[in-house]
Amino acid sequence: MSFQVFLDIAVVVLRFLLPVYAIVIIYQCFASMRRHRRPEKPLVTLEIKSTGQKLPVLFWENSIGRSRGSDISVADMTVSRDHCVLLRRTEGWFVSDIGSKGGTYVNGQRCDGRTRVLIDDEITVGSTTFVLKRGEEFNERIRPSWFFTKASNKGSLQPYKLMILITFFHLFMAVEACFTNEVQDFVPLQVFVIMEVAVWVFFLLSSHVFNRVNFELEALAVFLSGLGVMLLVRQELRSAYVQLIAMALGMALFSFLVKFIENPDRVNSWRMAIMIGAVGLLAINIVFGRVQYGAANWISIGGITIQPSEFVKVAFIFVGAAALDKLQTKRNFFEFIVFSAICVGALALMGDFGTALIFFATFLLIAFMRSGDFKTVILAVVAAVFAGTIVLKFKPYVADRFSAWGHVWEHAQDTAYQQARVLTYTASGGLPGVGVGNGYLKYIAASESDLVFGLVAEEMGVIVAFALAFAVVALAFYSRAVTTRSRSSFYSISACCAAGLMVIQSALNIFGATDILPLTGVTLPFVSAGGSSMIACWGLIAFIKAADERTYAAKRHRRLRDEEVSR
Amino acid sequence: MKRILTRSSLVLIVSLAFFAGLLLLMFRVVTQNGSWVQQAYNGHMASSNGLAQAGSITDRDGTVLAYTDENGERVYHADTDTRTALLHVVGDNSLNISTAIQSNYRTELTGYSFLLGLGLPNSLRTNNNVTLTVSAAASRAAYVALGSHDGACVIYNYKTGEILCSTSTPGYDPQYPPEITEENEQEYDGVYLDNVMSASFTPGSTFKIITAASAIENIPDIYTRTYTCTGEIEIGGSKITCEENHGTLSFEEAFTHSCNTAFAQIAVELGANKLTATAEELGFNKRFDVGGIQMIESSFELKGADENQLAWSGIGQYNDLANPLHMAMLCGSVVNDGVATDPVIVSDTGNILRRFGISLDGIGTKMLSAETSVKVGDLMRSAANYYYNARGVNLAGLDFCAKTGTAEVGEDKEPTAWFVGYTEDSDHPYAFAAVVVEGGYGIDTSASVVEAAMAALVYG
Repeated sequence: MSFQVFLDIAVVVLRFLLPVYAIVIIYQCFASMRRHRRPEKPLVTLEIKSTGQKLPVLFWENSIGRSRGSDISVADMTVSRDHCVLLRRTEGWFVSDIGSKGGTYVNGQRCDGRTRVLIDDEITVGSTTFVLKRGEEFNERIRPSWFFTKASNKGSLQPYKLMILITFFHLFMAVEACFTNEVQDFVPLQVFVIMEVAVWVFFLLSSHVFNRVNFELEALAVFLSGLGVMLLVRQELRSAYVQLIAMALGMALFSFLVKFIENPDRVNSWRMAIMIGAVGLLAINIVFGRVQYGAANWISIGGITIQPSEFVKVAFIFVGAAALDKLQTKRNFFEFIVFSAICVGALALMGDFGTALIFFATFLLIAFMRSGDFKTVILAVVAAVFAGTIVLKFKPYVADRFSAWGHVWEHAQDTAYQQARVLTYTASGGLPGVGVGNGYLKYIAASESDLVFGLVAEEMGVIVAFALAFAVVALAFYSRAVTTRSRSSFYSISACCAAGLMVIQSALNIFGATDILPLTGVTLPFVSAGGSSMIACWGLIAFIKAADERTYAAKRHRRLRDEEVSR
Repeated sequence: MKRILTRSSLVLIVSLAFFAGLLLLMFRVVTQNGSWVQQAYNGHMASSNGLAQAGSITDRDGTVLAYTDENGERVYHADTDTRTALLHVVGDNSLNISTAIQSNYRTELTGYSFLLGLGLPNSLRTNNNVTLTVSAAASRAAYVALGSHDGACVIYNYKTGEILCSTSTPGYDPQYPPEITEENEQEYDGVYLDNVMSASFTPGSTFKIITAASAIENIPDIYTRTYTCTGEIEIGGSKITCEENHGTLSFEEAFTHSCNTAFAQIAVELGANKLTATAEELGFNKRFDVGGIQMIESSFELKGADENQLAWSGIGQYNDLANPLHMAMLCGSVVNDGVATDPVIVSDTGNILRRFGISLDGIGTKMLSAETSVKVGDLMRSAANYYYNARGVNLAGLDFCAKTGTAEVGEDKEPTAWFVGYTEDSDHPYAFAAVVVEGGYGIDTSASVVEAAMAALVYG
């Protein structure tokens, strides 16, 4: 057997191992998310004064009311359906009346706005009086969530080890890219080194400056972003560097946002400013927008082109979510609806119907999570279908995409040119893929963004491509699991909806490229080339990060310790 | 927060929908990758349009019909007539002929498997050779006999299903495919279509086989009936004409003389429902395939037809359309206890089931009851004896049963000539169908094509 054959076999074996490696990394990220939880214990206990019955207070924000869906449900006709909110902040516990008929009283004094409550204080709603007690007073077992593993289970992979795993994955990609069929040089390694420096600086900052104990969410994002960058090296080196810079900016935005939304009350005071900023951004886009691929969703500033709608996604989630006691106010919800309408309308005006659809679907998610009203959701969908029909009538190129849908092979040389190639090259990659840089899909327009699923499948194999998609699904499951563990409904809603947005976007991207849905031309989170999209995705996962109560835990523990010492 | 948790289920539902979509995509990837990969533009199969690593194609006698040389060029059989005769079977470098082996078996020829993809280094690639059931010599003989006519000839073994001879005209030389432009496309009209598998023609009198079968099954006293032919008959307000003034005829005589007058009356007596039922049992309006390669369906459609049109349909006119390979299968069923054996074109002697001694021959579609098939066979035998033997039709000296057809296709066109039937010989159990467009009256052209092919097949 010649040396060449030996080398070829080694390459093929490596290509088969890489998908397994990718699955291990994604699994480790999620295994880590499920661990290191505080035990399922009440934070405080409410004792009904008249009967002595003890009710556990499980969440950071708890609704109290007659409604059965309330976190603390009171069977008392004099209590309003949604009476008040008992919430925890770093300063301690508060009660906030949310427009009840009878009012809420703390130690006999009527509340006006948030009122501090201390242990052994009495809270009166209607004719029921609660006494606030410590969490330990409640000693019944509480059923834990299926998602989280028991605290006693063995710890997950340490963050730095996870990062080493990911670094090596990117290294393998870089080495593979060095020796493609067409070009052989060490440029990919150069890109790899620069990227890993940025990534490790980010990691060290997170663990040593911000004192974050967990890093799995960031690790997952680093894994996906890095994979996208390495795929770009052999396609267009300049784009790879742009993507790299965007990744660094994304990590910066992420760090900033996690810090910025640390205090759920500060968040509320910035809401209006962010709304105005986002609308302004869209307005600038409409006025100065450049048409690219059929949609005027680009603006160019000093040679740098950006896609403002991507950043508006972050603002959209931000505006949509709110703390539990603000959530119920009509004004808050109304503002959000108006803001949504402006966003969707502006995007439709630009001709970016794919993104408009993402905003609309996210709007539905947020609206439902806030109101729980199915009727509103259905009404909105009907309105959207109506609007969609009008769009199809007046924008024939959108209708063209529909005509190609499901008829890819008949239109392989015209309207379904891109989808046909995605399918062909996905099949050509097989299980192991043809190797980074050896693909042919990279010569097709938008292959690095809209068709990136096919690019991954062709060059890295279909297993890796599907693993990336499943990672997004798992992200949504994780976001949902932390819902009740977050420090405020602001985080719960924003995390779920940010994850939901990414799921919807992934679905449109992957299914659009593979003819399960019509092609809409949206990006695959983190993996697709596109600076604005990359930065926005990092911004979006900041919400998920913030929803995980462990994010701010290190600090909290220290403060609690300090309090104990001072006492 | 509890309420938000409940409502966040919507996010889960969305995710599950996405998940379901991914499963659908996975399913499609796993089941359809073979056809996705076989595209002319696929860069991984680029040179010789993806046949650079392809294995060879040989006929039943071991004649190499196509192979790839050391330069990665695809080389076809050295004889121009042979490669043109088998163009629609073998195919060319392009994927224009959708039913050809090089279009349908490209992944097998190039050794593609989804497990490995197309990214294998050259040193590790393997390709597969394909052996066909056809005889190059017989196909060439039929092609030469067709001459300048458009048409088709197919012969298949009604016991094993092997297609032995298959040729379709017009064609072109796959070694030097013509550049088809807007100026010359008229000249090459229909060259990509395999007339054996992908075309259907007005069957004319060959359809009387179907009408006769229906009469045998549905009219109990059909053998005691007599019909009077005066050269024409008025049905439903319009005339149906006959070739001759046949006088008084029995049912059998009506078949051997191919009397339009008699069969028009039989069709009307049977009615649309019964005639359609028999035609559909005999495989009309049904899609067959040859090892997964789809054939076009023969069609018999009487919806909205009046009595006159019903009468015409009974003698193979009106909207009737028949596919040559289907007609051969139908004739095969007549001699094979009513079962039309599934046709095959790729020799599967290496099939794993065969290696375990399990026979795959004779699996097919039941078209006729055994009794009816014997009676129809008798009719076709007497037609051959009375009519075709007398005219000196000689199918390599084998006993045969047959039916001709002369299908009218329009005022200014010569009719389409058909010759369908089967041989009665245990060593050579062959069913055949030849169709010659604008072949004119009589059996001269269509029968001579079958004669030439059969001679090449039997005498070698």
